[in-house]
Amino acid sequence: MSARMTNSRQSIPAPMSAFQRHALMMAKQQSVAASHGHLLSSLREQGASEFERATWPGRKLEHWKYTSVQALQSNETAVWAAGSSASAECLATQLIPMHATRLVFVDGVLDAAASDTMPEGICLFSQADNLATDVIEANLGKVAGTVDPARRNLFASLNGAWTLDGLLIHVARNVVLEKPVYLVYVSTAQHNVVANLRTLVVLEQGASAQIIEHFLSSEHVSGNNGFVNTLTEIQLGPNAQLHHTRLNLEHEAAIHVGAVHVNLMRDAVLNGFTLSEGSQLKRIDYQLNHCGQGASLSFDGVYLARHDQQVDYHTCIEHRVPNCTSQQVFRGIVGNKAKAVFNGRIHIFEDAQKTLAEMSNRNLLTSNSAEIYTKPELEIYADDVKCAHGATISQLDETALYYLLSRGISPANARTMLSFGFINELLSSLTIEPLRVWLEAWLRNRFSEDRSLVSDIKPATDSGAEP
Amino acid sequence: MSEQVESLIRKEYAAGFHSAIESDTLAPGLDEDTVRFISAQKQEPEWMLEWRLKAYRAWREMAEPTWAHVHYPEIDFKSISYYSAPKSMKDRPKSLDEVDPELIATYEKLGIPLHEQAALAGVAVDVVFDSVSVVTTFREKLREVGVIFCPISDAIREYPELIKKYMGSVVPQKDNFYAALNSAVFSDGSFVYIPKGVRCPMELSTYFRINELNTGQFERTLIIADEGSHVSYLEGCTAPMRDENQLHAAVVELVALDDAQIKYSTVQNWYPGDKEGKGGIYNFVTKRGVAHKNARISWTQVETGSAVTWKYPSCILKGDNSVGEFYSVALTNNFQQADTGTKMIHLGKNTRSTIVAKGISAGRSNSAYRGLVRINPTAEGARNYTQCDSLLIGDRCGAHTFPYIETKNASAVIEHEATTSKVSDDQLFLCQQRGLDAEKAVSMIVNGFCREVFKELPMEFAVEAGKLLEVSLEGSVG
Amino acid sequence: MLDIHELVAKVEGKQILNGLNLSIKPGEVHAIMGPNGAGKSTLGNVLTGRAGYDVVSGDVTFNGKNLFELEVEERAREGVFLAFQYPVEIPGVSNMEFLKASVDARRKHLGLPELSSFDFMKLARECSQKVSLDPAFLKRGVNEGFSGGEKKRNEIMQMMLLEPRLCILDETDSGLDIDALQVVAAGVNAMRDSARSFIVVTHYQRLLDFIVPDYVHVLANGRIVRTGDKELAKELEAKGYGWLEKEGV
Repeated sequence: MSARMTNSRQSIPAPMSAFQRHALMMAKQQSVAASHGHLLSSLREQGASEFERATWPGRKLEHWKYTSVQALQSNETAVWAAGSSASAECLATQLIPMHATRLVFVDGVLDAAASDTMPEGICLFSQADNLATDVIEANLGKVAGTVDPARRNLFASLNGAWTLDGLLIHVARNVVLEKPVYLVYVSTAQHNVVANLRTLVVLEQGASAQIIEHFLSSEHVSGNNGFVNTLTEIQLGPNAQLHHTRLNLEHEAAIHVGAVHVNLMRDAVLNGFTLSEGSQLKRIDYQLNHCGQGASLSFDGVYLARHDQQVDYHTCIEHRVPNCTSQQVFRGIVGNKAKAVFNGRIHIFEDAQKTLAEMSNRNLLTSNSAEIYTKPELEIYADDVKCAHGATISQLDETALYYLLSRGISPANARTMLSFGFINELLSSLTIEPLRVWLEAWLRNRFSEDRSLVSDIKPATDSGAEP
Repeated sequence: MSEQVESLIRKEYAAGFHSAIESDTLAPGLDEDTVRFISAQKQEPEWMLEWRLKAYRAWREMAEPTWAHVHYPEIDFKSISYYSAPKSMKDRPKSLDEVDPELIATYEKLGIPLHEQAALAGVAVDVVFDSVSVVTTFREKLREVGVIFCPISDAIREYPELIKKYMGSVVPQKDNFYAALNSAVFSDGSFVYIPKGVRCPMELSTYFRINELNTGQFERTLIIADEGSHVSYLEGCTAPMRDENQLHAAVVELVALDDAQIKYSTVQNWYPGDKEGKGGIYNFVTKRGVAHKNARISWTQVETGSAVTWKYPSCILKGDNSVGEFYSVALTNNFQQADTGTKMIHLGKNTRSTIVAKGISAGRSNSAYRGLVRINPTAEGARNYTQCDSLLIGDRCGAHTFPYIETKNASAVIEHEATTSKVSDDQLFLCQQRGLDAEKAVSMIVNGFCREVFKELPMEFAVEAGKLLEVSLEGSVG
Repeated sequence: MLDIHELVAKVEGKQILNGLNLSIKPGEVHAIMGPNGAGKSTLGNVLTGRAGYDVVSGDVTFNGKNLFELEVEERAREGVFLAFQYPVEIPGVSNMEFLKASVDARRKHLGLPELSSFDFMKLARECSQKVSLDPAFLKRGVNEGFSGGEKKRNEIMQMMLLEPRLCILDETDSGLDIDALQVVAAGVNAMRDSARSFIVVTHYQRLLDFIVPDYVHVLANGRIVRTGDKELAKELEAKGYGWLEKEGV
């Protein structure tokens, strides 16, 4: 057979969506400050060009197969948010009380009044000194830039195109940052505003830090469908250790597309945790790359979706070198008419021998109108590896339920306890105690106030199915 | 892995000879006239031609799928010959005595005796050579119990009502690129009808052989198991060794009506190409069955051949309590690529499916499991259990798992597990220390790895499958 | 207190209890022994109402109430307690949360106010000390990561907290070393009083050295084939169960 083309494999590039055109225009509206513009210009240009060429997500695009971006598609009126300050009530009621360096961003802009002073090593790109400038130059776009172009998320490109400023967290060699860095991202109830967040975390050799990214809405009113696009790049040097927690607890009208990209160098350790509630559109990508031998990561995730929400996690762990380990556990509960997607990929490169990689994904559906799409993928090019994944969709454990009932606990209460426990179990990996306590209380409240996340479904009986 | 093991992966493809049989082969090319020619050759009724043309027109608008984890050069569909028949078939042989002796010899060489007296006990065979069915054994004996087993080209003329009702009912003409192509140009294949309540008295089997150069094989198989009936069916396939790639795009449709059971087993041994990855068959196949109330469809496949495999035998579990099963061994060596798996579409209540997929990769090959389990809102109490295991032999091959699990019913129970392992030096050492040579040791370990699937095969084929693995693995140990 | 009359029950379609009769008065301890597969564990599961254990015929009254008209949790609140042979692990749900919910449910049923968290903690600590469990376990998931012995002690602790009327101990001695056995037995003995009854299901006589029964019943083929006092248990220990079958009882 010759190589002549007949039925072409290359489809005609899809026309840009209205939002794509509008977003590119918004990038042009931004005025880049002369002081640090040179740091961002190539990131912005490359991002814009990639975003312009990208196919707009739809059912036929593998990585957007199940998640609708309808909420953005025809948006031609989105505007940049003006900075404002967080309301006292929001700060008082929604923040996690803990001893930490707290930085509050409102619609993407730092609210200095609500924030602590930035300690050494932490600064906005726009306020970078010489050292910080060097760190930014050496790392910005470099972690995210290693993603296979075929798999690159167009919103990550857009984040680059839109980056006007950003936050740098730089921990110098062998420095242990005692206080957690608590980043609070508040979305206000302004309609159709856009916030673009770029964060760069660089831990030098032997450094150690704890970072919490907490996304919330200042007022829980409907119509607050602002769009937040985030990208956090994390470079972990040899022997560096990072606890990274990301909570997406915005109002359900929010549109959030976010990504966390991490490179782990030799013997680096990442403990990751993420929890998201669904919203109108919530898509979070994690790209975790083992780049140095002996690196290890554990990564736990939770998604909770109800009402008409959707939530979509795409995770990709690349074992690019030998002798690394990864342990990933994701759990989700989906109720009402909500939809959840979990796409977890493990990629073992050629010669990445002695890899240990495990992934587990368990789901509870609490309604017959809810949907779950899970796709645990393995791509393996080395033979001396131990890899396994498992995925389940089921109901509450009948034996556990009976145990609770036999102690006099009501069925409704027992189901709430078990549904809560199904998620709460993962919280044990959180090492910052006030964070864990707060989140457990939040979770308990979520389960007791609304039964949509409590599984009332009884498993089918075994009888009658065999013909 | 030891060098000793490396040296074990080399044996010739035993079915790689070409038979010198005079053939009428249509010049390469594909347009509506090609479709008309094929239909005319088969003396098909007008409605069948229209059905084909509809498929052809749809195909022209379709694009070749690119989502599979396989890479091959663009196929030029106009450079393929879409019809080739042995000359001796021009006037169909009335008995085996009229069949070209060279052809009979070909099948004997492949271990498929066509003379009924010499045939495998209890197995009826339909033999498809390039584009035509050359002989179907035991037709009359089966007819006595009402079982129809004949070339599909005969069925189109003789049982038009069954064909009109069921052909395309499971795999519609426009289902996918290759199914559309097949629907337009399919040449022959087998047709099976098992009447109500009948347990087919023997195994049915079809043997496919591509012989001519530059021909594609596009067979189509339709099996209808009427209410309460049982049938077990096996297909096998081989092709000569050639440097060119050849296309095989088949469609298999299974219809299991209420309480019926169909067991469909495949031993696929198309020419896989040589050690450098030259030549071999592109095996792009659509297989699907519909299971009605309380019916059971079971696919078992042992895939060792083909340069590229793209194949997902599937079950639509339409009726309440219906059962779908998929047991697969896919072995790739040298530069072979396989992207294979299944789809289990749960529509009925209390439907059950089981998937056991074993992938073995050696040399520089890649083997991928791709599967879909979909639980529709109507499938109250549905259950699926999936197990995907990969075994890697050597450090230059790939093993991949792409399972899609879609659930829209909260009472479903789905469990999916996947593991990856290798033939470890420890295992080899143990076997060798007990006196086994490395080749034997590897084949034993691989056979053990595949046991769950082999036990689903009819007895005589299970033995064959084991041997086939051994041959396919030759030179893979290293 | 408990009257079991001609009880026939099935598990997964198979008849396990074949017309069992048993009557227990307040304050009595009844041991039930028998070979494997005799239906010993089935009895506890049927009495507590576990799904999959289907009553075919017969009736059971507990303090004048028809037990089979009550749901699992209602039976528990009435004071029927089963100490599980294999207590289940429930990660993510803390022991404390679980125990408080159980105690609150029982107290509510008895018309008592809920315990304050402080009072509950105090009570829970006391009980955990009685069964030699480190109170730190209260924060962990239910039975999560417990050894076999710890699980059994947790069962006894729950029994102490809930103060049931009828305690069914399902092979609570299995998998216990002698020290743990004594702890468990001491817990049970401390709870014996004139109003509380026990069914002690066991395969071995050993437990009955520590918890001395008023009656010993032998269960075989789903029925009680012999009843005696603690001497019967010793006889069984010496002779096995075979002789009963040979006698054709």
